[in-house]
Amino acid sequence: MDESINKTDESEKNEEINQGKQDKRDVQEKKETKSFSFKEFHKKYYKHLLVLPIILLIFSFGYLFYFYNSTGDYFYKDISLTGGTTVTIIGKTAPSSVIQSSLSDKLEDLNVREIYDLISNEQKATVLETKSDSETTRNVLEEYLGYELNEENSSFEFTGSALSQSFFKQLIFAILLAFIFMTIVVFILFRNLIPSGVVILSAFADILMTLVTVNLLGIEMSSGGIVAFLMLIGYSVDTDILLTTRLLKRREGDLYERIFGAFKTGITMTLTSLVAISIALIIVNPFSIILSQIFTVIVIGLFFDIFNTWVTNLSLLEWYIEHSENKHGGVK
Amino acid sequence: MKLKFTWKIWLLIIVLVFSLLSIFGFPPTFLEKGVIITHIEANSTAFDMGLRQGQIITSIDGNKINNFKDFTKIITEKFPSEEKVKTIISTKDSDYTFFSDEMPKIIVSDIPKTNVLLGLDLSGGARALVKAKDADLTSSELSDLIDTTRNRFNVYGLEDVKILPVSDLSGDHFMLIEIAGATPGDLEELVAQQGKFEAKIGDEIVFIGGERDVADVCKNDATCAGVRSCDQAGDGTYFCNFDFSVYLSEEAAQRHADITKYLETNITSSGRYLSKTLDLYVDDNLVDSLLISEGLKGRVTTQIQIQGSGTGLTQQDALLDAKESMSKLQTILITGGLPFKLEIVKLDTISPSLGKEFIRSILIAGLAAIVAVSIIIFGRYRKIKASLALILTSTSEIIIILGIASFISWNLDLPSIAGILATIGTGIDQQIIILDESKHSKHLNINQRLKRAFAIILGAYFTGVVSMLPLIWAGAGLFKGFAITTLIGITVGVLITRPAFTDIIRKIETD
Repeated sequence: MDESINKTDESEKNEEINQGKQDKRDVQEKKETKSFSFKEFHKKYYKHLLVLPIILLIFSFGYLFYFYNSTGDYFYKDISLTGGTTVTIIGKTAPSSVIQSSLSDKLEDLNVREIYDLISNEQKATVLETKSDSETTRNVLEEYLGYELNEENSSFEFTGSALSQSFFKQLIFAILLAFIFMTIVVFILFRNLIPSGVVILSAFADILMTLVTVNLLGIEMSSGGIVAFLMLIGYSVDTDILLTTRLLKRREGDLYERIFGAFKTGITMTLTSLVAISIALIIVNPFSIILSQIFTVIVIGLFFDIFNTWVTNLSLLEWYIEHSENKHGGVK
Repeated sequence: MKLKFTWKIWLLIIVLVFSLLSIFGFPPTFLEKGVIITHIEANSTAFDMGLRQGQIITSIDGNKINNFKDFTKIITEKFPSEEKVKTIISTKDSDYTFFSDEMPKIIVSDIPKTNVLLGLDLSGGARALVKAKDADLTSSELSDLIDTTRNRFNVYGLEDVKILPVSDLSGDHFMLIEIAGATPGDLEELVAQQGKFEAKIGDEIVFIGGERDVADVCKNDATCAGVRSCDQAGDGTYFCNFDFSVYLSEEAAQRHADITKYLETNITSSGRYLSKTLDLYVDDNLVDSLLISEGLKGRVTTQIQIQGSGTGLTQQDALLDAKESMSKLQTILITGGLPFKLEIVKLDTISPSLGKEFIRSILIAGLAAIVAVSIIIFGRYRKIKASLALILTSTSEIIIILGIASFISWNLDLPSIAGILATIGTGIDQQIIILDESKHSKHLNINQRLKRAFAIILGAYFTGVVSMLPLIWAGAGLFKGFAITTLIGITVGVLITRPAFTDIIRKIETD
């Protein structure tokens, strides 16, 4: 145990400081060759790698254009954005499919699901979503269930359609504003047009690709889901800022050692978030629509963040560094 | 190892202690025994004796009350009783003795274990977002509306209601009403009804609701207001009649005299009445027509009797309906109408039943996430101390956010909880940066290396802050919780936990 700790420590030191310590241990040689081949590979092909984000971006724009043309919207909206009623009936009811088929002609756009207890797997409640208003929904349900729905046995959440549409506009506005603010902060942080632009492009690509994936999966977005995109901005620029700082503002080691160091830190960051949020998602999924949608969007977004940070951002930044090196004869 | 903490670590410890005090109270509330009074009916015997909302009942007739179960057991065994019995209710500070044959009109619940307040979506209650129909309210109109509505709720007998003006990014003004716990069944009407009351004879208005025409309305006084009789109708349903007195202003009484002066008298089988009736309209709907007895013709009378009825399938239902209708009429007569029509744009009534399950699943999720993160961190660094420091710092961050939330009485709703989770996620990310930077570039001393880590973190902090700001106002503030907890979280991170973590790592590295 002790020994292995020492080994890792030393090998890390070696990469980072690049002082070529004449340590002939096997483990280390292996690592050196590995990072060497990675270095050669990346040096040669990083520009080619950019084909991937370009294809994905073109596909995303194309798909979104097609989606907008066929649906008139940028994503599917659930009733929190279109207006309607959500009813939670507490306790055991008929299976959701039965309720769905018997009431779907009475309640507009009806969607029924069950909530189960995490451990006992016992049905705790049934959730109905419909575009009908709260009064109609209440009457239809009471007739169907044969008992009165009160605050003891049910929850009603009604949002008028005008309000939902206004909410929707405001949330989109909030995202735009947040994005613009983020852009300004990034520019102030790096005071350098191209690297800042690359960070912002990566964050944008994260959001766009996540949105397209959400659409492809057919997820109906709620207001919570839109808020998740806001969180995504924060999560995605974190690693981009880390990468750009390490590559532009640090001098020690050669470029590829800095890239590798940044990668180790960045991937640990993203992986911890990814694992933690995936686990939380599995647990809250049967319970809270808002939370599970927020988590779903972030999990998808984090996958794209790995791609966009370590392919899109890295390759473009490398290109920029190489270019200015040739021009000025030194890494800036 | 000698324990020598830097001031940053001490700051974290002190803030942590304060947060724990703020969450659990001192002495901790979970050690307290008894039940807390959550609601007490005004003007009830219990109220008159001095019992108030928020007091903690520790025993009844000398029997210790530990929890809600004990309370219910004692009370249901005792009431209702045949005759008036003596009851001694003891709170922490004093005893209240009263004689009654029915149970005290109070609602109690177990003492909350912490001071953390939960939002309506977790604790249950009702929330309505109200807007003027086809009109934009100025802020003075909005504050008038809020005054009137508050007055209505008070007159109606609901006191624990929060009414706030909210405006959002598109410049709309709303009135937000939040009622914790039990929701009145007719909340919708109470909130949204314009409440324009008009009493007309023919087309002429005699008086309208509100203090200009109505000097006083009899309420809660059986001599001049009440349900007088109940009967079965021909079709088997029941109806109950109520009446109550209204005292008009001189001006309105004069108007009444002027209008009735010229009316003719009709002789009917039940008596001699004027040819036209006094018609009562609420929001332009006729609710009742009252016959005016001949004796009132041309007379300046300030006292008028308003009558009405309630119906129902059973006599009990009819009685309740009559009481409700009477209360509603009295309310709008006192408070008057609003100069515009209202629209409920959002109405949520949330049952408290699912809240506990929710919280449990969120706690399990949080715990599982922490365990998973610990495993990854330990796998990556293979250093017990540093990994432990990271997990402890993140845990203390949760405690501090909850502490601040309890301190400012912020109600934690689902968006707030999502905000806490987001913060912890970015917090862990930043601590990973600190850990990695501390090991990097060994030619710099540890202080320089950690300073560098902080540069990255500050960058991320400012992007975080600016991306949350718009959300405070968007969507009528319904997502405010998310923005607030995130802002609290990342600010605590940058000011308190991250500096402390940096020092802890410095200590570990230099040891």
